[in-house]
Amino acid sequence: MARVLVIDDSPIMREFIEATLLDLGHDVVAVSTGEDGIAYLRDESFDLCICDMHLPRMSGYDVLTAMSPEDTLDKWLFTDSMPDHNAEKIRSQGNYAYLRKPFELEQLRSELHRLLIPTTSDIK
Amino acid sequence: MTFLRTFKLSLRVKFVVAIAIMLVIGMAMISSYLIDHQARGFERELEAKGTTIAKMIALNAESGVMFGASFQLEEVLASLENFEAIQYAVVRDTADLILAEFGERHGPMEPMERRQESPENASTCQWVTDANRNELICFFADVTTVTEALGREQLGMTGSAEDHKQIRTIGTVELGLHTTAYTEALSAAKRAATFLTIIILIFAIAMVTVIVSAITRPVTHLVGITSKVAQGDLSQQVEINQRDEFGQLADSFNRMIDSLRQSREEIEDYNRTLEEKIVDRTRQLEEAQQQLIQSEKMGAIGQLAAGVAHELNNPLGGILGFAQFALEKLRKLTPDKVTAKDIDGYIRYVGDIEVQARRCKAIVQNLLRFSRSSNASEFHEVEINAAIEQTLQFVAHQAQLNQITIETDLAPNLPPLQGNTSALQQVFTNLLINAMHASDSGATLTVISRFSPAVGEFGGAVELLFIDNGKGIPKEHLGKIFEPFFTTKELGKGTGLGLSVSYGIIKDHGGEITVSSVVGTGTTFTIVLPVQNRSHLTDTFREPAASPQR
Repeated sequence: MARVLVIDDSPIMREFIEATLLDLGHDVVAVSTGEDGIAYLRDESFDLCICDMHLPRMSGYDVLTAMSPEDTLDKWLFTDSMPDHNAEKIRSQGNYAYLRKPFELEQLRSELHRLLIPTTSDIK
Repeated sequence: MTFLRTFKLSLRVKFVVAIAIMLVIGMAMISSYLIDHQARGFERELEAKGTTIAKMIALNAESGVMFGASFQLEEVLASLENFEAIQYAVVRDTADLILAEFGERHGPMEPMERRQESPENASTCQWVTDANRNELICFFADVTTVTEALGREQLGMTGSAEDHKQIRTIGTVELGLHTTAYTEALSAAKRAATFLTIIILIFAIAMVTVIVSAITRPVTHLVGITSKVAQGDLSQQVEINQRDEFGQLADSFNRMIDSLRQSREEIEDYNRTLEEKIVDRTRQLEEAQQQLIQSEKMGAIGQLAAGVAHELNNPLGGILGFAQFALEKLRKLTPDKVTAKDIDGYIRYVGDIEVQARRCKAIVQNLLRFSRSSNASEFHEVEINAAIEQTLQFVAHQAQLNQITIETDLAPNLPPLQGNTSALQQVFTNLLINAMHASDSGATLTVISRFSPAVGEFGGAVELLFIDNGKGIPKEHLGKIFEPFFTTKELGKGTGLGLSVSYGIIKDHGGEITVSSVVGTGTTFTIVLPVQNRSHLTDTFREPAASPQR
């Protein structure tokens, strides 16, 4: 049981990711803009953020860099509908998960599974 | 005339002729002087000879005249036969009566004008011409006798006998010498002089020719080489192995030819490499330009492709995900456990799939329509509003990302244009993307199309306006924005070809693209495309003849 924030401006993708997460029994918050996502990330605690790279006015990279160093969230899954220089920037920032749209249901599930396995740091 | 004009006296001929003329004049003067001198000598000799003979006759004729003894006088004169030159001799008494005669005298005598007797002999001789036109010299001598003065004592004269002697003229001797021998001698002298002159002249001319040839040979050689050099043959060398001024001249000339040849080779080499360089650079430049134009096209296509990918991949992601999601659920389902809620859920999934699939179909159709005519030089009928709307669809996502609203005011029933949709859409894409780059979030972009019947040659024109309320373009940039490679974007972001390619495309359509801008207020690009299809025109506007522009 994890708490996941989904940021995607495409309603169908948002809906699909949300449905998958709910089906796996996770708690989901889905928003359509980077600004809304940043607001949630600052106010609330999440185990994972699934963020689209191409959002109105800002990119997934902008959302990532908007987070302050104190934020503990280190699990990000970026989704992308077209390759561009932002993907390179994301890769240079750290070993973040990355899915190219359109992705298979199984690909999403295995990434979620990998990312949401309780690690030793999570077991307090 | 032509011959005279083309005939050039060579240096050698000039030298020889000049020296020959000088020699002839000199020789003539010398000969003339010598002959004249010799003639004077002959004349004096002849005059002296005649004078002597006349005096001798006069001496011997004294007694004959005194006594009137003609026979005695004839004898005296007969002794003259030994002298061939004597034409005649006459002895006269004081009464001018001929006492004796020798030879033939053809009077009257005329004094000769062209020849005068020598001054020292002028009293005793005269050059004359006789009645037979023979040239003669007449000599005159008095026949004198010495007489005792008669009745001297009576006169009371005293003194020696000599004092009383008296020289008395008792007659005259006239002697005519013909000048034939003299003339012949003179002619011989003249002939000799002439002959000598000619011999000397020939010898001198031969000598002069040889000397002048020796002088002019290097000059002639030099002239020949010079004319070849003047015609551009710089491989020539002057071959004069003399240690004089000509040798120095030849050396200098050879050095000059050498440096000329070197210079020419350098220039030719330089020209050749320059030409090669120009050709090479031109080719490189053309290639680079082609590549840039191509990359600009690719850039526009790439931007569209990225937009298309983004547009497609989201619905495809939904389709794929929901299809797999539904399939998975359905496989787990058994007919007896199906609830109304399940069916609602599946209808929703499949409904979503259908909606998204339709969206994909529409995008692909648009894309196909957009790229149907890849050959930009192919013209066909263009529905301008449809072309604009298609373009707007492709940039819609970018506009949405930038929070830019695109408004349109497209006039209905615009006449169709002859053009290339793909090329025109490239222009529209360029203008729209530029406008978005220049605008902040929340800005509005307006696209207007309208018909202007008064513009254009035949059938009016379609005017397209792309209006943004962005940053605007500074005045100093306005004049340059259609120039190739002009860009205000940071290095690597723009090729600076977008607007110049657009400009070219509009020009290809016979149209105009202009810009007006106010910094801080916004920019308006205006495209005017002439209507060549006149079918929509009323009869009053129709021209009698028109040729298609392309």
